Amino acid sequence: MIDEYAEAAVQRLLTEHAGLAEQGITVILRERTMVLYGEVESTARRDEIVRLVEENFPDIPLHVDIGITRATPPSEAEDLL
Amino acid sequence: MNDPHDPLDPPIRIAAVGDVHMDQDVLGRFRPALAQLPEQADVLLLAGDLTRHGTEAEARCVAEEFGDVGVPVVAVLGNHDYQCDQVDKVVDVLANEGGITVLEGDSTVVDTPACRLGIAGAKGFGGGFAGRCASEFGEPEMKAFIRTTSTVADRLGVALRDLDCDVRIALTHYAPVADTLAGEPLEIYPFLGSYLLGQAIDSAPTALAVHGHAHRGTERGATPGGVRVRNVAHPVIRQAYSVYRLG
Ligand SMILES: [Fe+2]
Ligand SMILES: [Fe+2]
Repeated sequence: MIDEYAEAAVQRLLTEHAGLAEQGITVILRERTMVLYGEVESTARRDEIVRLVEENFPDIPLHVDIGITRATPPSEAEDLL
Repeated sequence: MNDPHDPLDPPIRIAAVGDVHMDQDVLGRFRPALAQLPEQADVLLLAGDLTRHGTEAEARCVAEEFGDVGVPVVAVLGNHDYQCDQVDKVVDVLANEGGITVLEGDSTVVDTPACRLGIAGAKGFGGGFAGRCASEFGEPEMKAFIRTTSTVADRLGVALRDLDCDVRIALTHYAPVADTLAGEPLEIYPFLGSYLLGQAIDSAPTALAVHGHAHRGTERGATPGGVRVRNVAHPVIRQAYSVYRLG
């Protein structure tokens, strides 16, 4: 059953599970699918999110669109002169 | 401001990033970019959530990643850095193994080629923004929540006003204004920051306020007093750090 309680439970799992601790992921319901999007620091963290959400909510169709935050040097500075 | 920064002097260059959430799995990710840091900036500010859970091992990753970068590094902690209740150990590792100055209701002065740059910092806390904020009223838990914010904001204000320097910067984890939260759900604004931090920043001639915490927020904003605010949460700036030049 996919409903608002599931949405809340997934949000809390993302934050409170010791292996995740992610607060910046958006959880939304689109039709019958749960969509997760946002950014994390590594592919390992994204994989762990998918694994744990699937494990804890096996009946919910999941669509994951989580990116890895770039860590390139800035191409320019912002002048606050 | 006593002894203000002369406009003919070179600009002050401030690099900043927050919410790097370090752990073993991301060790080394920032190092290639940080190799260029001394050419681009005079100081690096870390705006909290340095770790995932605030363990000693994660703090060691921060010290390794952000230590020895060639410029002074000044940090505040974030809510994630409090998760495992080992704040003293985390601060100890950051300071002694990473050479990082960690601020909480106090300040430091960095000598840059341009001027004496003062940085006052505190993690901050939530409560919300003018007209839509929680009050110190009712249950003890509610009073404790808002009292925590007002105490830390008071200490930040004092630290900013007492700084003896040319240019002042405020560094927090929680947001001092709502501007830089744009993109976050409105319903969670009270957990993302407090106007009391903005009021503290406006109580001194602050040149720039830097914060993190709001991963889905926006980079640019300003306090009611006109102080520029920058949300440098890593997922917001989408680069290893941002650089701001103050004249
Ligand atoms: Fe964070
Ligand atoms: Fe945070």
